[in-house]
Formats: sequence, C-alpha cells, structure tokens
Amino acid sequence: MLFDRYGSFVGGIDLPDEKHATISRAIEPYRPVDLVRVPLSPCGDRAAETVVEPGERVLAGQRIAVSSGSRSVDIFASVSGKVISMTTAQLAVADAFETMPAIEIAPDGKSGPAPAEQLGLDWRAASAVELRRRIKDGGLTTCRRPVEALSGWIDRARSKCCRTLIANAMEGQPFVTASHRLLVDCAEEVISGLAILGRAMEAKALAIAVDRRRTDDYSSIVQQADAHNIAPVALPHKYPTGADAMLVKVLTRRERPPGGSVMDVGVAVVDPATCSAVYRCVVGQTMPTGRVVTVSGPRSSRTGNFFVPFGVNCLELVGQDTQPVVQNGPMVGIRCSPEAVVGPATDSVLALEASVPVPASPCIRCSWCTDHCPARLNVAALNDAFELSDLRRARKLVATACVECGVCSYVCPARLPLSERVRQLKRAVTSIKQAMPLYEGN
Amino acid sequence: MTQDPLQDAPDQPDTKPGQAARFAAFESPFLHAPEGARGVFLVTFAAGCGPLAAGLLLFGWRAGLVAAVSIASCALIERLYYYVTKTPALLGRSHAYLVGLLLALTLPAYVPFYVPVVGAAFAIIVGKGVFGGVGHFIWQPALVGRLAVAVLFSTQLTTPAPNHPGSGPILAQGRLLVGDIRSAGYQDRFKTWRDSQASPGADALLVRRPEVTLKYVTNRRDPEFSGLTIRNPGTLDSGTLAMLKLPPINEMIYGARPGGIGETCIIVIVVSGLYLVYRNYVRLQLPLVFIAAAACVAAIAPVCLSGPHGTSVARWFPSVIKAEGSDAWLMYVAYQLLTGEIFLAAFLLAAETTSRPVTVGGQVIFAACGGALAMLGKLYIDTPIPAYMAVLAVNTMTVVIDDFWRPRVFGQKHFAMLMGWRKEKEP
Repeated sequence: MLFDRYGSFVGGIDLPDEKHATISRAIEPYRPVDLVRVPLSPCGDRAAETVVEPGERVLAGQRIAVSSGSRSVDIFASVSGKVISMTTAQLAVADAFETMPAIEIAPDGKSGPAPAEQLGLDWRAASAVELRRRIKDGGLTTCRRPVEALSGWIDRARSKCCRTLIANAMEGQPFVTASHRLLVDCAEEVISGLAILGRAMEAKALAIAVDRRRTDDYSSIVQQADAHNIAPVALPHKYPTGADAMLVKVLTRRERPPGGSVMDVGVAVVDPATCSAVYRCVVGQTMPTGRVVTVSGPRSSRTGNFFVPFGVNCLELVGQDTQPVVQNGPMVGIRCSPEAVVGPATDSVLALEASVPVPASPCIRCSWCTDHCPARLNVAALNDAFELSDLRRARKLVATACVECGVCSYVCPARLPLSERVRQLKRAVTSIKQAMPLYEGN
Repeated sequence: MTQDPLQDAPDQPDTKPGQAARFAAFESPFLHAPEGARGVFLVTFAAGCGPLAAGLLLFGWRAGLVAAVSIASCALIERLYYYVTKTPALLGRSHAYLVGLLLALTLPAYVPFYVPVVGAAFAIIVGKGVFGGVGHFIWQPALVGRLAVAVLFSTQLTTPAPNHPGSGPILAQGRLLVGDIRSAGYQDRFKTWRDSQASPGADALLVRRPEVTLKYVTNRRDPEFSGLTIRNPGTLDSGTLAMLKLPPINEMIYGARPGGIGETCIIVIVVSGLYLVYRNYVRLQLPLVFIAAAACVAAIAPVCLSGPHGTSVARWFPSVIKAEGSDAWLMYVAYQLLTGEIFLAAFLLAAETTSRPVTVGGQVIFAACGGALAMLGKLYIDTPIPAYMAVLAVNTMTVVIDDFWRPRVFGQKHFAMLMGWRKEKEP
C-alpha cells in the first residue's frame, strides 16, 4: 500500500466497529423533506440578518441572510420552497444545544439550482487572497464542533503560522461513516478541497489521515493526492487516533500544550466535510446547503449516508421520538433535543439502544481510566478532585490536557461519568484562569 | 460452597430513587464497556478460588470449612454493619465475599472456627466499614483481619502442637483432600514430603516449617545448628547445612509444606495472578517488582554465619558466597522467596485495587517498598506474617505515593513534575 505508516501513542482502546450497517451505502440525497428550519447563527455568534420575507419563494442555494459580524457567516436556503416564518431552532455549536433564530422553509419539491452569483474560479491560478475571499463569501464553516466561520479559522491558522494542514478522516467512533463515504464517493472533492484550503492558508505540507482498515476502498485517493502533493497516511484504528491532538502527535510528534489547540504547535486539522464544502463552493459555486450525515443505530427507522439539507429535524431523520438519539457519534456526541436540527457539525444522527441506567458506585481505583487515557492524565485523582471540588488540585494534575475522547467513562467499571467530570474540571480551570488572574492556584 | 456466595442479590434496596435520573443527566459516551465493578470483584474471587482449591487438596476438607466460615461471616457481618449504621451497601455482597476468601487464604487450615469469624469482623468493620466501604479504605481489609487474629490468637495460629514450636501440619500422601489436618503426628526425621508416611492413626505430618529453618541462617539461636562451625571460612557453613535440612525445592513450588490455606502452592498462585493480569485487573509490574525487590533484598541482606571458635560472622551478599561445589546460596534466595507468604501477598493481596497506587510508576514504587519490607521482615523480625505486615505498611504509603508520583501529562514539559514540586516549595 502506498499509504505511509506512523507510530502511536500511550493509552487508547479498541472500540467495537459497528459500522457495517452504513459503511457500504453510497451517499444519497435525503427525501422527502417536509419542513426545514435553517438556523441563522451556526457559529453561535450573533444571528445573520435576514434578507427574505415570510411568504417569499426561495431557491436552494439562494442567500437568505447576510452575516452581521466578523464571526458569523452568510446563510443560504438549503431547499427550494416558500419561506413560512421566522422561528427558532436548536443547534449544537460547542458543548451544548443553543436556541437560535431560524428561517422556516416549506420545500416545494423543486430542486432548481440557484443562479450562480459569481463565475467559477480556476483555483490553481487564483491567489491565496482570492481564495480566502471566495471562502468568506461562500459562508463556509468548519464542519465539526465547535463550529466557527472558516474564514476566521483560516485567519487564526495563519496568525499562528500553521504550515501543516491535515485532513482528519480517521472517524474512530462506532456507527459513524460520513467521512468514509465522502472519501469513497467524492474523493476528488475532498482531495481538491484540501488542496484549495492548503493554498488559501498558505500551508507548506498537506496530509490526509485515514483508517488503516479501510485503505482498500481508498485506492483512488492515492493518485489524486500525489497530484496535489498531499501525503496520504494510514493509521491504526485505535480510538482516539482521530482526536486532533493525538493525530498531530502521531504525525508530527508535536504535543498540543495543555489547554491550547493544535494550532499552537503549528498544525491545522480539518475534516473531509469541510474540504468537500470548500471545493463545492470555490469550484462548483454550490453554496453550503447541507452535509453528509450518517443515519444509523439499532433503533433507527432509516439507515444510510444521506446528503441532508441544513435545518432538517434530527429526530425526524431517524424516525424516532424516544431518547437516546445522539448526534456526533456515541463517544463524544450529545443527545439531540426535540428541536435539534441538522447543522454544519452534524456528521451523524444515531438512535441508540436505551441503556438501563446503572447507579454509579464509588471509585474502586482499578486504574483503567488512567491506563487508557491518551493524554496520560491521572483520571482517578481528577475524579477525587472533582468530588472534593478541589480546582487547585485539578490544575496541578493538568486537567486542561484532556482531549475529551470519553475513553475513561467507557472503561469505568464503577460507571462513573469520568469524562464529563474531567470536562467540567477543564472548563472550570480555564474559566477561573480567565476570570481570576490573581488566583493563587494559577 | 464457593458457588453459592457468587449469587448477588439482584435488587439493590439501598440505592436512592433519584440516582438513576441524576445519572441520565451525564452523557457521552453513550456506549459502555461491559465490565462492572461487581464483575471485577467476582473475577478476582474466581482467581482466588485457585489457591483455595490447592489448599483444599493439600490441607483437606477443613480448609474448605474455614473458607466457608470466613466468607459467610464476612457477608453476614457486612450485612449487619450496614443494617446498623444505615449506610448503603453499593456493590452488593460481592466485595465481602472477596474479602472473606482472601482472609481464608491467609489462615492455616487447623485454626478453630472462631478465628475466621473474629478475623472477618475486624476485616469488615475495622478494615472496610469505618472508612466508608468499598473504594474508600486504606488498608487491604483481609489483611487487617489477618493482622488482628495474628495478634489475638498467636498461639492457635502458629502451631497446632504447642510442644513442637515452629512446626505445622501437612496432609500425608494418600490422605490428600479427605484427611483431617488436625490429627497430625510429629515427624522427627522429616526429609521430604514424598518419602514420608503419616504415623499410624494420623492423617497429617507435623513438620518443621521451612521458613523457621531458614530463620536460623539470619537469626542463629537454634542449638541444633550451634555445633556447626566453618572449617574454612567461606566454603562450608551452618547456612548451607540448614539448607540441606530443607525439603527439595519442587515441594516448595507445588506447596507440600505447612502454611496458610492459599499460601503454599506457588504454581497455582502464579497462574491465578497471571489470569488477573490477563484480564487487565492487575498490572504485571506490581507482582513482578514485589518479588524482584524481595529477591534483591534476600540476595544482599547480611546473613549471620557461625565462624571459628564459636564466633559469628555477618556476611553481606549471601547469594555470592561460594559453597562447596554447589549453587546452594542461589538456592537460598529461591527458598527465601518460595517459603512464607510472599507470592500470595504479591499476586493477590498487594494487587488489590483500592489500596494500591493508581499510576504504573506509583505501583512500581509501592511494590518495590513492599517486597523489600516483606523480605526484611522475614529475615530479621520475629513475626509469623512479615509479608502481610509489609503490604499493610505500604498500603499506608499509597496516598503519599499517588500524590508524589505524577507522570508527565500529554503536552506538558518534560520533568514538569519536579519543576512543579520545586515551585511549590518556594514561599
């Protein structure tokens, strides 16, 4: 195989794969769409200002709201149809669902393409400034939590002198196959999108990291990647190799500092969905109207990989009203609220088996959490710090180094919500540092 | 007898009704590994049944009775304790069974039945209950019970025959499993277990304990050895002769020697311990370092040899003293390890989860201290349970080790632990 091989990291775990239901299902458009509620602030900032009135007819890809600040993006109609009303929807931006204004559109079934606003661009000839402007005009966002405007993301990467750009197609979580299908079905879009993004942020080295088990399906990628000078890398499937910090450590041997992001060590990481959206926007002039979502899970009434327009209700997607319906995968995902809609970061919606709630018992200090932690945290001691509300101790144990992969909760025989506790400690330590700079624990 | 206690009560009457709803508020991951804390205890219990089975074979049915009494009284006392103090028993009775089994493994089979009952009371109430139950105790509860009975019933525990101090019974060949360990005849000229027969009317051989024999090498007080002197210093000495009086080493390994129910059969202990390692319940480093530290101490710590004209000579590094044409002094280290209770302490008792450090480095420190203390106690302190006392001593240090040993966290600078420590020391 032409894929390069690299090292690994301490900790991690082999998760059950569970992808058989959707792994061989090609991406298909999602039909029928009843009603969409297109959220107006997918980045969690101020909502974009609407430029359409209720009752107006819109076409898919038509601009319906313009950005109102540097961190918000333009919004495009995800389906053709009639604007019904201004309403609200819930979208997961960072850690939790946020209620935000939305435009309700009743689709009319027509899929007439919106008129192209600008001419296509030969991206190989275009300058980086031109590409960045196109990305900003296209209203692109990063396609995973925390969602942010792609132009802002590029600016941040450039200000931190990121010279390496890695597309993260590891997808280690069970059930989720969206990135895999994107790589198989739209290989050219992803690879070219990565090249465009690399050119836009003036990166020197590009790489795409894939799961070593799936390399047989990716044979077409290698040639295209060579053409764009992108290094294809196959990594073992140990979870969480797909976490940004671990991926960067494996590929570049640089360790993300605690509390920082991988950009602090000069590496930017994107996901294939963003690359694909960049290609469609810059080359195909297709504005971001939806994304590929894996709909799966044992209780789901519909399985497959669908291109779902933004604003479709998540519970409708799986045809299930009863919880747990989870988005973003079973390990790091969050439970969908009834109002939750598909946004840029929704890579999967899963209807999982309702687990019998087991009461947590005291920690027996089995040390499994500590043994499996990819960040080498002493999770048992952090759990003590949580139970004693000892933020100073949590800081001493470097709670901010947590990569939020969920392995500690997964293995805990006492069923303690360790991952959630460490995450809360991490947030608390960070916010205390910001809010109380003179705090002696700092 | 070992099957019944495994049935845990399915209902947990002590859990509060609000707990389930509160748990549901914490999310992600939505998948969970199948193993639970109760499973950990039950698998450890199953591993402990290996040495128990060996003890049943070597010490007869009475070993099973002692184990049953110990397990049942642990379960009953835990129930009673939780009933009286109204604290929730979160993990059912599985941990109490485990404590009872481990306590029984450390007791000899000939003890009167009130000994395991009293041991269980101390183990559950002092060792576990007052700290708040599972997950909160400092010392391994079974060893707390064992220490208590060692102090309270020292005469009943050390030997069944007070006129033969330093001796213990082992079932004779042909009487394994069915013999009564309490009907023992003293074997004056005991050489090996394989070549010995029980005296008429007795089931068991009452023989000198090998660890008592070994004690004379470091703590020379026995008139039997006092007449032996070194003709050419450094070649032949009383230590070597004491070794010659020991049974062959293979009997040490399969356990034909007096001792606790689960202490003697080294090979079964190792297999059980390796099973726990395989199940990822124990890090291999802990028992290995424990035993390696004990071996190092035995190889280095001085022995007391009788020199010419009734003097005594202390010699360091006993493992490199040359004996006449034999490797008897390396065997001395092997005997020091295989006799006594070091293997049981290393593989099953020190490896208990709650009372050992969490990080690997901490466990190595813990095990090194424990093994060294166990061997030092075995060599120089006059106690029947040196390894258990060593484990209890290092259990006390667990909190300190956990606090001191902080491995480098992902993204942290190298040696940040030491830097941080230095920074803390600054005013």
